[in-house]
Amino acid sequence: MQPVLGQNKFTNVTASAGIHHKFQVLEGMFGGGACVFDFNNDGFEDVFITSGMNDDVLYKNNGDGTFTNVYIGSGLEKTKGFVTQGAVSADVNRDGFRDLLVTTITTKNENKVIPRASNMLFLNNGNGTFKDVSKEYGFHERQTFSTAASFGDFNADGFPDLYIGNYFNEFKGELNGISDATIVGANQIAEGNLLINVAGKYFKDVYKEYGLKHKGFGFGGVFTDFDNDGDQDLFVNHDFGYKRTPDLLLENKFPKKTFEDVAEKLHMNLKINSMGTAKGDYNNDGLMDYYMTNIRFNLFMVNRGKQGFENMTKPLGMYLFAISWGANFADFDHDGDEDLFVANGDLNPNCQPMTNFYFENNKGKFSELASQVGLNDYGIGRGSVVFDMDNDGDLDILVVNQVAVLNYPVESVTSLFRNDATKGNWSKIRLKGTQADLNGIGSKIELIVGGIKMIREVDGGASSHLSQNSVISHFGLGNATEIDTLRVYWTGGEIQELYHLKINELLTIEERFKEKKNYSYLFYVVFIFVFLGLAYFLYKKNARSMNS
Amino acid sequence: MILKKLLNLLVLSLLLIGCEKKEPLEGWELANKWSKMTLYLSKNTPANTPTYASRAIGYIGLTMYESVVKGFPGYASMEGQLNGLDGLPKIDTSFSYNWQLAFNAGQSEILRRIYMQTSDANKVKIDSLESLIDKNIETSDDAEFERSKKFGIDVAKAIFEWSKTDGGHRGYLHNFDKERNMDEFPGSWKPPLYAQSFSHHPLHPYWGENRTFLKVNSELEEPPYIAFNPKKGSAYYNQFLAVYDKERALTQAEKEAAIWWGDDPDETFTPPGHSFYLTSLAVKQRKPSLIEAAEVFAKVGMSVADAFINCWDWKYHFFSERPNTFISKYIDEEWESFWPDPPFPAFPSGHAIQAAAAATILGDVFKGAITIVDSSHFNRKRDDLRDVDFIPRTFNSFWEVALETADSRFYGGIHTPQDNAVGLEEGKRIANNVNQLTWKID
Repeated sequence: MQPVLGQNKFTNVTASAGIHHKFQVLEGMFGGGACVFDFNNDGFEDVFITSGMNDDVLYKNNGDGTFTNVYIGSGLEKTKGFVTQGAVSADVNRDGFRDLLVTTITTKNENKVIPRASNMLFLNNGNGTFKDVSKEYGFHERQTFSTAASFGDFNADGFPDLYIGNYFNEFKGELNGISDATIVGANQIAEGNLLINVAGKYFKDVYKEYGLKHKGFGFGGVFTDFDNDGDQDLFVNHDFGYKRTPDLLLENKFPKKTFEDVAEKLHMNLKINSMGTAKGDYNNDGLMDYYMTNIRFNLFMVNRGKQGFENMTKPLGMYLFAISWGANFADFDHDGDEDLFVANGDLNPNCQPMTNFYFENNKGKFSELASQVGLNDYGIGRGSVVFDMDNDGDLDILVVNQVAVLNYPVESVTSLFRNDATKGNWSKIRLKGTQADLNGIGSKIELIVGGIKMIREVDGGASSHLSQNSVISHFGLGNATEIDTLRVYWTGGEIQELYHLKINELLTIEERFKEKKNYSYLFYVVFIFVFLGLAYFLYKKNARSMNS
Repeated sequence: MILKKLLNLLVLSLLLIGCEKKEPLEGWELANKWSKMTLYLSKNTPANTPTYASRAIGYIGLTMYESVVKGFPGYASMEGQLNGLDGLPKIDTSFSYNWQLAFNAGQSEILRRIYMQTSDANKVKIDSLESLIDKNIETSDDAEFERSKKFGIDVAKAIFEWSKTDGGHRGYLHNFDKERNMDEFPGSWKPPLYAQSFSHHPLHPYWGENRTFLKVNSELEEPPYIAFNPKKGSAYYNQFLAVYDKERALTQAEKEAAIWWGDDPDETFTPPGHSFYLTSLAVKQRKPSLIEAAEVFAKVGMSVADAFINCWDWKYHFFSERPNTFISKYIDEEWESFWPDPPFPAFPSGHAIQAAAAATILGDVFKGAITIVDSSHFNRKRDDLRDVDFIPRTFNSFWEVALETADSRFYGGIHTPQDNAVGLEEGKRIANNVNQLTWKID
């Protein structure tokens, strides 16, 4: 596939698009993130952005390149009482409308000795409004200091489950019983939450049941199928991995209810300040690779299959100094391979400006071109997302920037960059699960064009940093004129193939419905045979004794 | 059957007799049991810091001494000699006291108070140790028992009350001042990127304003500091170049020293705790009497505490940068120290100043040749990240210990030579002031 463009050009359309967002920290480095979801099913993807100490925003995409904040009146205003961090969306109850989970660290307007709060789940009413169901779905039971959440269907039952990263340990005590001992114990490393979605009705914590016992300064984790065995594994990001718990790679042993930590074996126990993960297959070899953001130098871990992962940051030209948070793989220039955007930003309150990275993929080698393509934003970057804001077939970028606590030489506000110069062909694919998750979260799409095989995993969130990209998978196709083969690896193991598909349009692929194999009848058959055998044996025995 | 019952009875009787048997402790053993408990609490209480640990051993050491000094004619109380310490409990000379009981009760009381932030389980450990030791102390009557214990408790309470006004009381609740704006100027401290702590605010910025144990130690002049000059070849530049060059040529032995003396407060008893531990090694070796052991723990504790207060005063006065800040800006952007940065300014080195203070005291108290084998971190899980094991250290003098403690921070890449040299010098000065108090009455 020939690259169509030598260079891309992004345009900062923040103001003209009507985006006026500022993330205000409570203290230090924490937050924020953005979640892309079409909450009103109008075909244009909307964005929810957390704001920390400010009011969150729900930007409805007007379809004309502009957005309107419809937070007030949406039912999401309940987040006003919380210091919000990240956001993630899935159709929790499979009613056809995407619901929203917002992570929090504490409540606002209260000087809590130990800052903790419940995370918040909102069900989409289907009419543009949401209902707070945090209590009914079990979130009120946990007072946590949460960072990123990720949806994934790790038990493959079609209902999206959750992993939530917590930075400091949960506080379970009564506020009136706080002693010095409780206070000094508060900022210790924390367990995450592994929550199973029980038939769309509530979430049950199965952390211990699934063999998880780690504690760390958690920045969430991404569900991903790193070993191509059809189930969703989990990569967990931990801050201060060099002195506390490193990153974890948890292999899902489905159908067994357990995860096994294979991080050390596969060289993924990264001992870094792991802020976030971007996942993508940069060399189109069919294996997911992972880019972890860090303080100073990020890590690009390339998947070598059974040999584990190899740190290729330096050889691939990505060894650049920064403090990084969000990161997103996407084929921004439609040349058939995935490029990488990285959101950088210093640690509040003392901040020095640092620009973002745009790594253009040139046949497997990367060149950093942020300033050339118009992405040299000096805001204090955190979460970033990619989506097609104007449905023109290419991917645009939104970066959540923190407001600087102290003096800062440039304005630091959330920025929207429209991808304006891409001319190559493309394909966008939306999945519709019948037995897998309704939006295909966790499923994998393989697309073959001109002998090149490209894969995408449908993003369930916590990718980038505290954020969730579009669930519509995007492929750049260069000069190709059709898709030769499209293969969907649905969560749960079903594989669906389609051939000779049109390009430059959004394709919706619905999962073939298959009767689930029901083995329960086998039990009855065996039981009847055993019963008959036993009866026959007793009959014969009785007959023999009668005869004797 | 009867024989069997008789045998059981005999065994039971022997066991009971065994339980009743006292196992008296030598004075130094008693002191070391409580120093060990102090270090356990320091290591196993969250939000641990070297600053608070230095203060803790100051008051714990002083309580050791004051809870027994009145039982040893020829020794002088610190009352009236320290910075506002007066009104300590008196003994009733018409009655007898058991000084081991007083010591035991005093330690139990001061530890429960100084470490009030520790877990309930740890508080039970303190009670258990006190109870266990009480059972092994011979005493003439119950009244003496009660009188002795009460005296120890009263001394601890009085010292604790005095401690509340020093500026460091419950300091663990204010490790980081999130409202404080940090000064910014060329050469100023920046929050570390390769950090030991998740906080980006510096630790205990007001610790230097705390009351020192000795008034004279609060009157020391600021040491000289080489002026900022990023120009290649300048004296300032060369300080950091030395760190850079050393890090690139570290031997395995130097790496071992670097991790051994790390004494991260999240995982260990901190550098001041390390000095208290080394004191216990010397005490174990020389086996001093109870009052002598109490004296050395008091001297080391107070000199280390005062060293830290002065050190913090100067750290925030100069607010100086760490090598990670200077080197990555002026020498090599990719450079990273061998050991992560602690969350406070560099000059002078806290490790060096407190190690020098302790070594000065120990060298003065335990004269003559001595070999110290420091096994404090033995059996710790090896440092896979740096590919280094925890190897016990052997020293032939206390000053050797101080020198390696200081050098280890240079090897770790977090202190320049001047941070260490000045730290060692000032630590010595502070401890000499402690030595010059009137400890004995002619």
